[in-house]
Amino acid sequence: MVSRKKAAGTAAVLTVAALALAGCSGAAKGGASGPAELSLDLNNLATTTPAGTTPVDNVKWNLPYEPSSIDPIFTWNYAENTVDASLCESLMRMKPDLSQEPGLASKVETQDDKTVIYTIRDGVKFWDGKPMTAEDVAFSIQRQTGSSTKSYWADYFKNVASVAVTGANQVTVKLSKADVLFTQAMGSAAGAIVEKAAVESGGQAFGTPKGNLQCTGPYKVGKWDSGKSLTMERNDAYWNTAVKPLVKQVTFSFIADESTAINALRTGDVDGQFFYLPPAGLSQLQKSDNVTTTFGKSFVFWTLAPLNKDGALGDEKIRQALSLAIDRPALTKVVFQGAAIPAPTIAGPAMWGYQQDTFAEAAKKYGTDPNIEKAKQLVQEAGSPKTPIVLAVQGSSAVHEQTASAIQAAGQAIGLNVQTKVIPVEQFGNIYFDPAARKGLDGFFTTNYSDFADPLNVYAFFQTGNSHDYIGWNTADDQITKALATSNEADRAKLVTDIQDKVTTGLPWIPLAYEPTTLIQNKRISGAVPSFSYLYAPWAVTMGGTK
Amino acid sequence: MSFSAYILKRIGGLLLVLLVTSFLVFGLLYLAPGSPLAFILGPRGGTPAQIAAVTQQYHLNDPFIVRYFAWLGDLFRGNLGDSIVYRQPVSDLLFSRAGTTTALVSLAAVIIAVVGILAGTFAALRGGWVDQVVSTLAAIGLSTPVFVVGVALISLFAVGLGWFPTFGVGSGGFDTIWHLFLPAVALSVASAAYLARITRTAVNEERTREHVQTATVRGLSPRLIVRRHVLRNALIPITTVLGLTIATLIAGAVVVENVFALDGLGSLLVKAILQRDFAVVQAVVLVLVVAFVVVNAIVDVLYTFIDPRISLGSKQ
Repeated sequence: MVSRKKAAGTAAVLTVAALALAGCSGAAKGGASGPAELSLDLNNLATTTPAGTTPVDNVKWNLPYEPSSIDPIFTWNYAENTVDASLCESLMRMKPDLSQEPGLASKVETQDDKTVIYTIRDGVKFWDGKPMTAEDVAFSIQRQTGSSTKSYWADYFKNVASVAVTGANQVTVKLSKADVLFTQAMGSAAGAIVEKAAVESGGQAFGTPKGNLQCTGPYKVGKWDSGKSLTMERNDAYWNTAVKPLVKQVTFSFIADESTAINALRTGDVDGQFFYLPPAGLSQLQKSDNVTTTFGKSFVFWTLAPLNKDGALGDEKIRQALSLAIDRPALTKVVFQGAAIPAPTIAGPAMWGYQQDTFAEAAKKYGTDPNIEKAKQLVQEAGSPKTPIVLAVQGSSAVHEQTASAIQAAGQAIGLNVQTKVIPVEQFGNIYFDPAARKGLDGFFTTNYSDFADPLNVYAFFQTGNSHDYIGWNTADDQITKALATSNEADRAKLVTDIQDKVTTGLPWIPLAYEPTTLIQNKRISGAVPSFSYLYAPWAVTMGGTK
Repeated sequence: MSFSAYILKRIGGLLLVLLVTSFLVFGLLYLAPGSPLAFILGPRGGTPAQIAAVTQQYHLNDPFIVRYFAWLGDLFRGNLGDSIVYRQPVSDLLFSRAGTTTALVSLAAVIIAVVGILAGTFAALRGGWVDQVVSTLAAIGLSTPVFVVGVALISLFAVGLGWFPTFGVGSGGFDTIWHLFLPAVALSVASAAYLARITRTAVNEERTREHVQTATVRGLSPRLIVRRHVLRNALIPITTVLGLTIATLIAGAVVVENVFALDGLGSLLVKAILQRDFAVVQAVVLVLVVAFVVVNAIVDVLYTFIDPRISLGSKQ
């Protein structure tokens, strides 16, 4: 359910491949004997697909499960965000290339590091025709602050001291301490603006099938038939008249079973879907003449997160040994069918939103080739612990199971006893924050991602007290605290690469792979945005028919 | 026993069963490890303050008995509660899914009854190679896992031939029947095979009975004998099995619902159990128990039509 993932891969190890070029619509054809060999060119992942050219009445899009709510404060996962991206717009907007531009805020000024002034865009209307006011903006931020907020995004608002309407078109946010993540998070669903009156009259039902969601996006909620489908209709009164979506209506289905989804895509019963992990039936899709497959630039990574401070993985040397024993290139080829990139660090190149040269230079020193001899030596130095390392595996997930097997084999090769424990997908999410659910576990796999192009967003997980800090790893606390308050990008990049060094050595999380978005579109349509921005910005406005 | 007395007795029994099952289910859920916290707080978790607030709000730490009686009290006021995960009234969730389950199970019941009874009767009356073929097919049907049947049907008829859609329930009316046909077939295969065997045995048994032999000796037409003397008597075990089968299909359709991406009660129940969504689990279990009892009551009434010697509620 929870998806955040990461893989490690340095520029030096990248393989350049013919597939998955931006906008590439020619699906790879598998040989008669098996799936096509994919190799991804990390520098050439798609950010767009060719825009659609003809009007389309209805596009059927599949989600991996039904959203439990579409109130933006509860949209913190793939299905929810895929829907909300077209409905609710944020103060900043994520572009297909993953950079940000002004969204519902036409201008952002930071007076000092602790004061952010948003100028609200003129002429923006909610779906019900009411104009968006500074009041609505202040309210949308305010409801996510404070210790009692229910917002899934609360982490980003923890340093917000006050939100005030300071002019007809102006909202001022004061921070209790400088926080470079806050301003960037306003480009994710955390910065989505909802209508104050609708939230207040909707109460608990706001954002549910019965609740009257009110946002400003190019699509509005049509009908939500609980359990069956959710339809969004084009908002013909959209404030940005330069945007003219060709698709009148998008109907989301909720096919959870992957093979059913693949079949529906192959037959055209469904026109498209985003996959955050390559589906097991990827080769079938690539052989199909009905669909195009596009691999998009993404922040998603696949990682092994150690859990038990007192277990074997609590020992830094054992973590290092296990990490050295893992054959990441083989892992991406076998488990991810080639649709992944071996990851040497937690944060991948897609996250280098500033000072690319600094990050690229820093990444050169890491590799992904296994080193069994060195790993064995580290295990010895750690006293060759015999206690089993128990890894939690998410039920009915091939990627989880196969990765666990690969790591089991890697552990065996260097004398570590790695075992697995299957946890149902519905319970898996509890591991993230419920210490009781972590009992008896030494680590778990997670897909994870940054919400914007800043590696600090994920490296801040390793600050003491963060909910992602499971083993009390505190080696980089000082730099993280400093980086969070550093708005100068050159200075911050230096700090972040320092943190990256410490994280990559200390391995509070063990990087495995970087995961591009897999976008499947029926050939009758084109134009959906294949990059990670499909979670936070309207991805359907460029979509249309191909004939 | 008069019809009204029978109904009263049935309702009394139903209430007792409901009370016991709801207590058991609630208790088991309570004892099982895990909590719905992940679904309330979201994947990112929460601060200790948030966790405490939510635990308080949903009474997650209240003693079992307190929570059970609170739920029971709400139920008596006609309130099934709210789903923690979906933030919706449970009745809304149930209502939208009950339709799908009813349609699916009804369609499957028709297929099971028609195919099972016809195949079983045919096998018994024809004997020889027909019997062999039907028995073999029934054995295959009984031993093939339902998801294999489902996937095979999708591959062949939806993806391969394109006759049927791959998933979903359609938009009502004929469209829904068209959408639900493959899932209903997948759901029926094992039960129809079972019913065919039962029918075959029952028909064979009736054919050797004295009154049938007498009728044959008297020179009555074979067609009449089969219809009036064999099938009618064989209907008692057939109806019993059919009733039980249909009742179990309601919750047992989970696998088919997943393969065909249908929003039925079965998958709602399984998801709710794993998510520890107490109110939803309880409500679905109540619906299942009621359905089970109602189907059995219908079977009881049918007995009296099939064999007037049987009276309502008798133990025969």
